[in-house]
Amino acid sequence: MTDQELAKDLGPLAALTIGVGTMIGAGIFVLPGIAAGRAGPLVALSFLVGGVVSIFTAMSASELGTAMPKAGGAYYYVNHALGPLFGAIAGLGNWMGLAFASAFYMLGFGGYLRTFLPLPQVPLGVLTLTETQVAGLVAGAAFVGVNYVGAKETGRLQNAIVVLLVAILTVFSVLGFLQADLSTLRPIAPMGWAPLLPGTALIFVSYLGFVQITTVGEEIRNPDRNLPLAVIGSVLIVTTMYAVVMVMMMGVVPWQELERLAEQFGEGAPVIEVARLAFGGVGVAGVGVALVTLAGLLATASSANASILASSRINFAMGRDKLVTPWLNEIHGRFATPYRSIAVTGALILALILVRNVEVLANAGAVLHLIVYGLLNVALIVMREAAPPEYDPSFRVPLYPVTPAVGAITSFGLIAFNPPAVLGLAGAFVVGGVVWFFVYARPRTPKQGVLGEYVLSRADAMPDSAVSAAASVQPDGGTYRVMVPLANPESEQDLITLASAIAKQRNGTVVATHIVTVPDQTALAGAAERADELDESSRALLAAAERDAETFDVPVETHTIISHRSFEEVFDAARTHDADLVVMGWGKDAHGSPGRAESAVDEVTGTIPCDFLVLRDRGFDPSRILVPTAGGPDSELSAEVARLLADEFDAHVTLLHVADPDEREAAESFLEEWAAAQGLEDAERRVETGDVEDAIRRAAADHTLLAIGATERGLLSRLLTGTLVLDVVEEVDTPVVLAEKRRTRSLWQRLFGRR
Amino acid sequence: MLERVCLPVATVEDAAATCRALLRHDVGTVVAVHVIEKAGGAPDKASVEQREEQAAEIFAALEDCLGDRDLETDVRYGTDVAETIFDAATDHDATAIVFTPRGGSRWIRLLTGDVAMALVTETDRPVVVLPDVPEEPNGG
Repeated sequence: MTDQELAKDLGPLAALTIGVGTMIGAGIFVLPGIAAGRAGPLVALSFLVGGVVSIFTAMSASELGTAMPKAGGAYYYVNHALGPLFGAIAGLGNWMGLAFASAFYMLGFGGYLRTFLPLPQVPLGVLTLTETQVAGLVAGAAFVGVNYVGAKETGRLQNAIVVLLVAILTVFSVLGFLQADLSTLRPIAPMGWAPLLPGTALIFVSYLGFVQITTVGEEIRNPDRNLPLAVIGSVLIVTTMYAVVMVMMMGVVPWQELERLAEQFGEGAPVIEVARLAFGGVGVAGVGVALVTLAGLLATASSANASILASSRINFAMGRDKLVTPWLNEIHGRFATPYRSIAVTGALILALILVRNVEVLANAGAVLHLIVYGLLNVALIVMREAAPPEYDPSFRVPLYPVTPAVGAITSFGLIAFNPPAVLGLAGAFVVGGVVWFFVYARPRTPKQGVLGEYVLSRADAMPDSAVSAAASVQPDGGTYRVMVPLANPESEQDLITLASAIAKQRNGTVVATHIVTVPDQTALAGAAERADELDESSRALLAAAERDAETFDVPVETHTIISHRSFEEVFDAARTHDADLVVMGWGKDAHGSPGRAESAVDEVTGTIPCDFLVLRDRGFDPSRILVPTAGGPDSELSAEVARLLADEFDAHVTLLHVADPDEREAAESFLEEWAAAQGLEDAERRVETGDVEDAIRRAAADHTLLAIGATERGLLSRLLTGTLVLDVVEEVDTPVVLAEKRRTRSLWQRLFGRR
Repeated sequence: MLERVCLPVATVEDAAATCRALLRHDVGTVVAVHVIEKAGGAPDKASVEQREEQAAEIFAALEDCLGDRDLETDVRYGTDVAETIFDAATDHDATAIVFTPRGGSRWIRLLTGDVAMALVTETDRPVVVLPDVPEEPNGG
């Protein structure tokens, strides 16, 4: 569709410059002094290590990006694959990480501005803002403002800026090497090799940018080719530049001097000094300093700009999955920008600029991103293992599973090399993400995630802990859930109609499950190989269920469960899927045990997991409903069902109570009160005398549906006497729905019934 | 002149206001056009999907307001909003372009591009500017 093609206007160069433009700001222009002070000449190697760590994640991101080019990038992949719990952590982590990084970039910008503009220090009561902070705050406000207003020009300039930067740096490097004395690089590791990885942790903020290309994935032209090209290409280009420039800088100005310059004159000083010497070698020191200062300003500015842009995309993607409030994603009337998201992120950035310490910001920004990168690699593994049919990337990582495994290990591992304060922050953050999930996201998001689906559909074969973990983090949408275990296409429509009617009246969701029974001899993994066969019939059945439920305008979830057991699986499924009501069929091909909706096993343990409705397979016609009652919770449930069906289908309801002939008056008043208590004052009331079963049989003749409560008698009495319910149900032609209410009973009660 | 009007709409409020103004006149078919502004080679201000969702909301608001009148809708992508509106008007054989102006100070208009000005000065077909009709207190 040509319109869709018009929407994709980012070519390979544009995509590449997003990555390179975001990354170049920190590594070369802000960190050399501090980083050199940490590790000496070894820091060049730290940069290379950073590049290596990044390349693994870059490959995973490329595969996921070509499979799912949607706004939100890394957050979307993690949410889709691992479910909303990890999605919340990844989304919030990515967002906050970008805020920390942007604050860092703004301080860098301030550092450069300060080298040629006289700036004030501003005392604010308890703390004093340094010149760098003042500049950073002003610049930060300006960039946020520009994004808020949505000036289109900044986007177009980005490409030109990055090309200019690369050009300046190339000239800079060449001139620098002419002046460099590489002997000052020995000894390479004056403080030992220990600072290598902490050095990588510090400079890793220089590599935050390649994943951002995926956040605008939906706008890339021909993403199959251009996305991996841009993501991996930007990492390679940037790593090379960092290594070359760092070596060059340390050759021109010894590393101890670089550190001193940074401490005394701000982060920009080391680079400017090197530029002075490098360009001075050809007599244009002043020009060189000006060019490099300009480059520093442009680089930090473009990094901040790109980060603000990416953060608003992530907010949108999270809002789309209902993980954050939709308030945040409103589009401005005049400016057509997601102004609230930009304003909130901007406020965060400005607040973080008050944290004077550039290292803390760099570390924190990097750590939060490393969490996301680790999760991204895990997401890739999940997508490959669960292999849902829609997953079809054009780029596949080489050496699977080594690549994502190494990516995950190195990303998570690098976190450990950060200072303890930052680790504490990261830990607090993950906890915060989890809390956010349980408190806000879980009741709202409908999406479960490929991993959760996979675990729950193979529940029988999975370790219990995995199943209960998956079930406990499953989003429930906070609604009344009606589960319908389907086994037989013939009964499907009746069951779904009944379930949908109830769900609609209760504003709930229908959860259609297909339990596929596999003989005990077949390992469930083997069954998964027959999966295609099973999936087809399952999919057809569940698709029919979905269609039927949709005619009621009720949300539907579908699940396929492969199990050795049929009937017992219904109970487990009801628990793991958080069902409030189960509507199941019973007849020749249904799940087994007739009569009470319980198996012998559950009789002893004493509980059914939720309310149950069992529909005898004779069709479903809710126009005239008969509800026999003698009081008791089960007939209350059948009355409730009758009421819901009456509201939905405008049905006629008759309440029937059978009593002894001399208790007729008492019986009538009982029935009147009972009807009122159940909200069925308008129902027809009939009191009959004589044999209960005969009365029901007679009345059933002119009704279309019999809604009857299961007997209250316990196991032994049922075995001894046979149940009232069963006999009469078998003898009438009318469709029957048996109701049993959830209640817990003591073992004693279960054995001997209660009166 | 108003048999087939091209109605550029930017926001839900815009759509409601323009529609209210439109209902006071004798109008034939309405072709609503929402332009998603593209940066053309750089990332956009807002996600494309986000703005497509907004377009759906805008068209729904128009439908509500116009009732059972003839409404066609079109989402377009382009770097120059006014140009794109003109292209849409041509493609849909519109007899006129109709809109309500959206105010804003000169400074804001400078920053965000003055679409209204371009529509009025560069058009190739009648352009009708409707006065803003305020909303009735009891929800008119």
